[in-house]
Amino acid sequence: MENKIDNCENCDNCVGKQNFGKEFWKEFVKGIILCNPVFVLALGLCPTLAVTGTIDNALGMGAGVIFVLLGSNIIISLMRNIIPDLVRIPVFIVVIATFVTILSLLFEAYIPLLYESLGIYLSLVVVNCIILGRAEVFASKNGMFLSIADALGIGLGFTIALIMISLFREILGTGALSIFGFQLFNIPGLSSNPLGFFVSPPGAFLVIGVLLAVFRWIGVLDNE
Amino acid sequence: MANFKNTKVYPIIILTIVVLVSVTVLIFLNTLTSPVVEAQKRKEINNQLQNIYSGMTDSELEDEIYYILKEDETIGYAFIAKGNGYGGEITIMVGLDKNLEVKDVSIMSHSETPGLGSRVTEESFTDDFKGLKIENIALNKNGGEIDAISGATISSEAVVSAVREEMKKKIKSIK
Amino acid sequence: MNNLISIFILMAIVNNIVLAKFLGLCPFFGVSKKLSNALSMGLAVTLVMLIASISTTVIYNYLLVPFQVEFMRIVLYILVIASLVQMVELAIKRTNVALYNSLGIYLPLITTNCAVLGVALINSTENYTILQSTVSALGGGVGFSLVLIIMSGIREKLELSEAPESMEGLPIAFITAAMLALAFLGFRGMI
Repeated sequence: MENKIDNCENCDNCVGKQNFGKEFWKEFVKGIILCNPVFVLALGLCPTLAVTGTIDNALGMGAGVIFVLLGSNIIISLMRNIIPDLVRIPVFIVVIATFVTILSLLFEAYIPLLYESLGIYLSLVVVNCIILGRAEVFASKNGMFLSIADALGIGLGFTIALIMISLFREILGTGALSIFGFQLFNIPGLSSNPLGFFVSPPGAFLVIGVLLAVFRWIGVLDNE
Repeated sequence: MANFKNTKVYPIIILTIVVLVSVTVLIFLNTLTSPVVEAQKRKEINNQLQNIYSGMTDSELEDEIYYILKEDETIGYAFIAKGNGYGGEITIMVGLDKNLEVKDVSIMSHSETPGLGSRVTEESFTDDFKGLKIENIALNKNGGEIDAISGATISSEAVVSAVREEMKKKIKSIK
Repeated sequence: MNNLISIFILMAIVNNIVLAKFLGLCPFFGVSKKLSNALSMGLAVTLVMLIASISTTVIYNYLLVPFQVEFMRIVLYILVIASLVQMVELAIKRTNVALYNSLGIYLPLITTNCAVLGVALINSTENYTILQSTVSALGGGVGFSLVLIIMSGIREKLELSEAPESMEGLPIAFITAAMLALAFLGFRGMI
């Protein structure tokens, strides 16, 4: 467990001590670019690849992760002084699992279509190490106000990454783009002969690999 | 208070409280959402049945068969068939008329490849089933009357065999 | 029996949990740099997956379903897996020091490994019996170890070759995984 958390913390400049006490905005923005959970930290990869076949799934998963992250960060930051160190991780896990269950109950009742298509990946948000990572390195050491900013920033950064990947996969893989049943556009030659490869599992690996390389090449990300 | 925090039972008490609160919240929320989920499922099935039997007034569920009623007269039998496609489970609503011929089928859920296997949901495929008796429900190449979708033989075969196998079972138990 | 074999092949090859279901990607990319590490990790995951699947299926079939509280499964499963990992770690430490030295550091990582929870969730979604769950966990573990070992073999060679600077490390690993996944796609429709 400790090892995993250390891995999740490898973005020192974002959660370093000099940032403590700085304003909401800074904590919010860092999660989107500087400390993007997917592209910079390479965390939460399973859902990133599994649900980016369509933009609907990406948006649903993004919203779900923001909800759980916000909930767990708020509760854990409020409880940070009464949680004993010894059972810290089990308490975090129970809090996160509770919010994931709330999320899946709400999805099942009010957006059943999305619930069906996300399948087990909605439940698997519980082991998304972005969330446990934020609980450990941020919410358990900061107040509620900053923890909310952190959750929104990291959550949004995750969602943006999902949207970017799913845009490539859906447009190339089906030749069209539609959000929740409304078709936005349709590329005539491509939609009759779509490159189905991109919505299949290998396409997911290829798109994220190429995106990472392009980001490094144009200098958005540092080389290893 | 500071002393209590250092005792050995303190962590156990906190963990227990957290678990209890969590269980209470979830049970409460579940009692709120489960009727909504039930209603959603009923509505979804009712919509599917309405699409197949346009004039239906009511349906009764018995032994996993929906007996379709139109003013107290049974006009058809519907049931749900499940098959394993290329990407996972495919759920199909099958509607039979009074003569046990297929009236229509509709795909309720699937996870086939978009643009290929997902074309099993299109009418050009499902319309092939209309009016078929059980012995004709097979793909063309296997001597039946259904055209497989080009490039998606596995998905097509999955739907066809799921419908055929389930129909075989259900016809026996229809009263 | 036929059914058990098809569950095994489905989990291990056709719907490989790493390459088709995208479960356990963090260790897949993190621990696949050396062949010996990949072997140990694969073994550790298979072991935990097996024990976790059996216990979660018992809980699901004899506790959650009869009392109609299936929605509690996420909370329960993750607690069961977390405590199981602790117990397995302790048991190995007490009984076999050599094994502990080779597996030890991977065990704590497994709690947050979505492959273990993923297989447990697949088992209960499919309403598998205890025997079926055992086979499906075994298949999942074998499938995970298999691709981890293949991947580490490739990456050991990859280290020696020159990739464009911005491709080095993670990007090239992803692209390699894409090729592997493409190969595994050929098994689709087998069952």
